[in-house]
Amino acid sequence: MSGQTLPPAIETVALRKTFGPIHAVGGVDIALAPGRIYGLIGPNGSGKTTLIRLLVGLARATSGEARVLGTRMPSRPLLSRVGYMTQSDGIYPELSVWENLRFFAGLYGRADRARLLAALALVELDDRRGTPALELSGGMRRRLSLACALVHEPTVVFLDEPTVGIDPALRVQFWAHFRRLTGGGATLLVASHVMDEADRCDELLFIRDGRVLARGSADELRRRAGTDRLEDAFLHFAGVTGAAAAS
Amino acid sequence: MSARRLWSITRRIIDGFRRDHRTLALIFIVPVAVTALLGWVLRDQQIAPTRVAIVDLDVAAGGRLASAISDAAMGAGLTVVDDGIVDQVTARAALADDRIDAALVVPSGFVADLLAGGSPRLRLITQGANAIAEGGHVAGLQRAVSRAILSLAPGGPRGEIGIERETVFGTPDADVLDVMAPVFIGYFAYFFVFVLTGISFLRERVGGTLERLLATPVTKPEIVLGYSLGFGIFATFEVVILIVFSLMRLEVPAIGPLPAFVVGLDVPTAGSPLLAFLIALLLALGAVNLGIFLSTFARTELQILQFIPIVIVPQGLLAGIFWPVETLPDVLQPIARLLPLTYAVDGLRDVMIRGYDLGAGSVQLDIAVLATIAAFFVALAAGTIRREVA
Repeated sequence: MSGQTLPPAIETVALRKTFGPIHAVGGVDIALAPGRIYGLIGPNGSGKTTLIRLLVGLARATSGEARVLGTRMPSRPLLSRVGYMTQSDGIYPELSVWENLRFFAGLYGRADRARLLAALALVELDDRRGTPALELSGGMRRRLSLACALVHEPTVVFLDEPTVGIDPALRVQFWAHFRRLTGGGATLLVASHVMDEADRCDELLFIRDGRVLARGSADELRRRAGTDRLEDAFLHFAGVTGAAAAS
Repeated sequence: MSARRLWSITRRIIDGFRRDHRTLALIFIVPVAVTALLGWVLRDQQIAPTRVAIVDLDVAAGGRLASAISDAAMGAGLTVVDDGIVDQVTARAALADDRIDAALVVPSGFVADLLAGGSPRLRLITQGANAIAEGGHVAGLQRAVSRAILSLAPGGPRGEIGIERETVFGTPDADVLDVMAPVFIGYFAYFFVFVLTGISFLRERVGGTLERLLATPVTKPEIVLGYSLGFGIFATFEVVILIVFSLMRLEVPAIGPLPAFVVGLDVPTAGSPLLAFLIALLLALGAVNLGIFLSTFARTELQILQFIPIVIVPQGLLAGIFWPVETLPDVLQPIARLLPLTYAVDGLRDVMIRGYDLGAGSVQLDIAVLATIAAFFVALAAGTIRREVA
C-alpha cells in the first residue's frame, strides 16, 4: 500500500518551541504518511524529546501546529489512540510488573486479562508478573515501559529511545513487533541517537539544534551524502566540514 | 587521615548548601521566623481579664462575703459580671455561651458557718473545654477569695475553706490529655497526611510517571479525585486509628515477665465519635490536596520536609491548640481564622468535650469552613497538574 495518497498520521507546520533564548524546536515542517516506521535521529539535546512532547500534547508550541491523525494537539480524547514510551521509564517502582501494566491499561479503559497477558508475552516478562518494578534490571524496566505504551493498541506510537539497555536478541524481536504494528496500519516515530537502529526504519529524520536537517531512507541519505556510513551522512547534513571525506 | 580528603568532603557539603538556597533558608531564616512567631504569640498574648460571676445564695449574710470577693476580684484586675446571673442555672448557661469564664457560688449559710469555725465550701464552676486557659482563671479567683475571707475573718478562719470545682463540660478532674487529645487527633492527621501525599506526588512528578499519566486520556479531575480517594482511604484509617486509640482503654494483664499495661488513652468523649471522625477527615482531605499543590514547589523529598516548619508548625502555634485564638495578637488573629486547623480544633473540642452535635451552629460552621477549604485545596492541586507544561 502506498502512503502517498493517505492523509499524514503525523504533521507539523512551522512548529517552534522556545525555552527563553533556547530554540528547542526551531520551525519544523513534516508530514509523515501512516503505516511506516520513522526514525528521529540526532544527538542528545537536539530536540527529539521536545518534538515528541509537542506531538503528544505534553508541551504547548510557542508557534506553529502539531497534528496527529488530523487532530491538532494538545487533544486529550485523541490520546486514547496514541502510545508514548518516555525516555525515563515512567513506571511505579513500588508496583509489580502486573500492577503497573494494569494501571496504564486501566487509564485507557482496557485492562482485560488477555490483553495484559499478551502485552507481557511480547516483552517476555510473563514470568516476572509479581516482581516489583524496583527489583527489575534496567533492560526489564525498559521492556515493561514499552508494554505499558502499547497495551491499548495505539494507532500512532512515539518511542523515545526504546531499546536502551535491551540485549540484542530482544531488540531484534522488538523491531519485528514494530514491523507487525505497521502491518496493522500503525505509525511509529522512534527517537534514537544510535545509528545502527536507523537502518531498521522506513524513513529517517536527521535532527539537530531543533531543525530537521534531512529526510529520506537510510540508503537515500547515504547516497546523497556520498558516504556508506550513516554517521558520516549525518555529519555531512549537519554541515560539519571534512566529515564526509571518507566516501 | 588525609587533611586534603577530609577538606574535600567538607567542602563538598559547603558547596552543596551554597547551591541549595532553600536549604540555606531553612537553616538560617526559618528557625528565626518560627522562634519569633512563638515569642510573638507568647509575649503579646491578649489575656483578657477573667470574667467572673458571683452567685450569692447566702441570703442570711446579706451579701457581705459576695461584695468582699467582688472588691478583692476587681482589685486584682478581674472583671465581675452581673448579666442577670442569679443562680447556678443561669451561671451555667452564661458559661456555656462563653459570656463568663468562671462562676463562684457562695452557698447558703456559708458566712455563719465560717464565723462559727466550721469548714464551709465554695463552689467554682468553669467551662471545662480548655484546661490550660482555665487554670489561670481559677488561680486568680482563688487569690481573690482568700483575700476576701481574710477581710471578713481577720486573723484567718479557724476552719478550713474548701473550693469545690465543677465544670459545665467534662469533669473537673479531666487531665490535660483529656482536653488536648481531641485537638491532637486533628493536628497529627493533618501532619502525616500532608507529608505522605506531598512525597508521594513529588515522586509522581520527578519519576516521570505523571508525564506518562498525562499522555493518556485521563482528565485532571480524575487525577486529583483519584488521589483524594486513594489517600482519603489511608487518611480514614489514620483518623480512625487515632480516635480509637485515644478513646479506648484496653487493660492487658501481666503475662509472664511482662507487667500488666493499658493500651489506649481512655480519653472521654462527650459527643459522637463519628462526628469527630467527619471533622478530622475533612481536615485530612484538605491536607491531601495541599500536599499535591506544594509538591509543585519541591524537587526532592527533603524539600517536602522543609515545608513542615512553614506549613505545619505555624498552624500548631496559631490554631488555638494551646492558646485560644482570641488571645492572639491582633495581627495574627485574621491569619488564624484562615487556617483549616483552627476550625478542626474548634470543631473537635465542640464535639468531644462540649458534646455538641450537628445541630449546633458552631459545629455547622466548622464543618462548612473545613469543606470549603478542602474544596479550595482541590482546585489549587488541580491547577498545578498541567498537560501542556511551559
